[in-house]
Amino acid sequence: MPAFRAKELKGDVRQPWGTIVAFLLPALTFYVALTAYPAIRTLWNSFHRVLPRREEFVGIANYSELIKDEIFWKAVSNTVTWACISPVIEVTVALLLALALYAKVPGARFFRVAWFTPVLMSYIVVGILWMWIYNYDWGPLNTLLRAIGLGALAQPWLGSPDTALGALILVTSWMWVGFNMVVLLAALHSLPKDVIEAAELDNCGWSAKLVFVIIPLIRATLLNLVVLSFIGKMKIFDLVWITTKGNPLWSTETVSTYVYKRAFEWTTFDLGYPSTIATVWFVIVLATVLLLTWLFRTREKLEY
Amino acid sequence: MRSKLLSVLAGAALAWNALAAQAAAQTKEITFWSHWAAEMPKRTFVEKVIADFEAKNPDIKIKATWYEKTALYAALKTALRAGQAPDVFYAEPDQVEYMDSGFLLDLSELNWAAVEPWAKEAWMYKGKPYGLPLEAWTVELYYNKKMLDELGVKLPDNLQLSPDAFLDMVKKAKAKGITPMSLGAGDRPFTGAHLVHEALLKKLGVEDYSKLLAGKLAWTDPRVVETLTWIRSLTDAGLLPATFTTMKLAEAHIYFHTNPGALTFLNGSWYTSRAFNPVDKGGQPEDFQLGIMQFPSVPGAVCNECRTIAVGGSYVANAETEHKAEVIKFLNSFLSPEVGNEWLENVKVQTGIKSDPSKMNDKQASEYFAMIAKTNAGAKYHFGLPIQVMTGKPKEVFTQVFNNAFPAGNISVEDAVKQMDAAN
Repeated sequence: MPAFRAKELKGDVRQPWGTIVAFLLPALTFYVALTAYPAIRTLWNSFHRVLPRREEFVGIANYSELIKDEIFWKAVSNTVTWACISPVIEVTVALLLALALYAKVPGARFFRVAWFTPVLMSYIVVGILWMWIYNYDWGPLNTLLRAIGLGALAQPWLGSPDTALGALILVTSWMWVGFNMVVLLAALHSLPKDVIEAAELDNCGWSAKLVFVIIPLIRATLLNLVVLSFIGKMKIFDLVWITTKGNPLWSTETVSTYVYKRAFEWTTFDLGYPSTIATVWFVIVLATVLLLTWLFRTREKLEY
Repeated sequence: MRSKLLSVLAGAALAWNALAAQAAAQTKEITFWSHWAAEMPKRTFVEKVIADFEAKNPDIKIKATWYEKTALYAALKTALRAGQAPDVFYAEPDQVEYMDSGFLLDLSELNWAAVEPWAKEAWMYKGKPYGLPLEAWTVELYYNKKMLDELGVKLPDNLQLSPDAFLDMVKKAKAKGITPMSLGAGDRPFTGAHLVHEALLKKLGVEDYSKLLAGKLAWTDPRVVETLTWIRSLTDAGLLPATFTTMKLAEAHIYFHTNPGALTFLNGSWYTSRAFNPVDKGGQPEDFQLGIMQFPSVPGAVCNECRTIAVGGSYVANAETEHKAEVIKFLNSFLSPEVGNEWLENVKVQTGIKSDPSKMNDKQASEYFAMIAKTNAGAKYHFGLPIQVMTGKPKEVFTQVFNNAFPAGNISVEDAVKQMDAAN
């Protein structure tokens, strides 16, 4: 196209601002009202004592108090432990299950549904279910231990500070393994058949094929699942609230449950301090996700 | 003719609208939010008071909304901040944040002569009363009479076992495979702590116990340590169910009277609101032989007759109500001995309204209150549970340590008292 013609056309094209605004406005309104404003307001609150009908600027007093708050650090420790352990368990077990389904084990169709089912349940249902399973007197877990002569190991799993967090980590892993499995199964099914067949022609064994061919090919999916699981666990609330409320001795307290307690259960209307916790935690989660994304970035695109 | 008819109809409609508007303007509506949506005896009682009030005051309409406690508290926190709270609502005396923030109406104009002085005291804040104390309760040690007889344990005349006799009873029950005491801390921040606070109150007496809760007496005080060590000896002997930390309040009731059955149950005197329901609604078996004994005497105690009395469910008024006179009138309709007796008879829990249990017709209620009267004879009261007195971090630490971890044996006496002193 001659240069003058292109210029002429460009000059004729007018931006349809009315249409652009009409399309953007609803989404933008919702975003500003329900995400941007609350986030900015939370940051603002963190520098104030926010009481009904009055606000007092307190500078960094809330942040200073937070640094000395032992319960907050206990909650941070629990949450980080949860967020680090759970993704590893979930993704590892999910990969094994996905491989079993990919290899078409007998009853694969049934197992696919059975293993996926927990993720369809709400945390409320899952929490109640596992409280029954962990019940000291008649829960299936202790009943099983007693039946096989390991009664000495039976204990109130959610009632002891030594086991409560581990018991809850197991619950979230059980719940989310199915979701990870389905995503990984889809990734496995999309693997290029010629690469797998080439590996087989080279007499590559099952374990070598898994480690050197399959896992590198689905690496991006695995890492995305790890990051998603990590973010989910950094925000965990419902399951703890239903089962232990952070007990015993804050051994299952998470940052989210602590924010809720400080905002709504500490016989005060002050929203400043809970906002400080929320702000600090938002920054930590964001920084960690950015770090993970940077660490897991793919420098070279795999070609096959 | 047709146009005349239309004019007449239009005139009539206008007149009707005007009359309706006038009537609406004359009828004042009081909004009322209350807990007890699912606790039918209490709800039925309040609904009757409302119906009676509306019948006597046709110009006032009470618009009631019923909640469960957690949902109510969450709704109120938002509504109060937004200036959209109801005129009258449910509250408990530990919610000092309402008074701190100036949300509650000063109720000095109520008919306080009809209220027990100790119940009024629970709602006093900076010299003014802010709540109508409807529900009151004491901490009672219930027991299964049949089970106790089978163990061969005899109660003394004052119904209070000595520390040694109590420990002996615990051991006897354990030897027979019976859980000595049903207690659960799974869904309440105070039920598990009854064991600790009743013992500390007896050991220290009202004055020093109040100082302890106010942070003016160290938890490392030898008397406190001695008492906690005594409690630890009881829990080590197997006093509580292994499921104590996660057992919910409703489950603790069932655990005591039905399955598997425990010898005793330390609980608020509102035991009746669940246990006196029909069996299919979680009530105790019809042939269940309920008894009430005193909390055992505590080694070296200065006040073994001391016990906790708490004001629970109450009604307060919104400081911003536009119908102050009507609100006062409505709350006053609760305050008569007849209404107090109706509460006792129907709800079977004590009340802060002056009443006369001797005039009750209900056999079960009068027998129950006779037992309560016997265990409370000569009692010296401390008003309020620890979590009603404490606020902020001490309250949180007390809840975690003494409502849950300490009775469960998850924390030593030394660490427990250190945590409390650090929180103060």
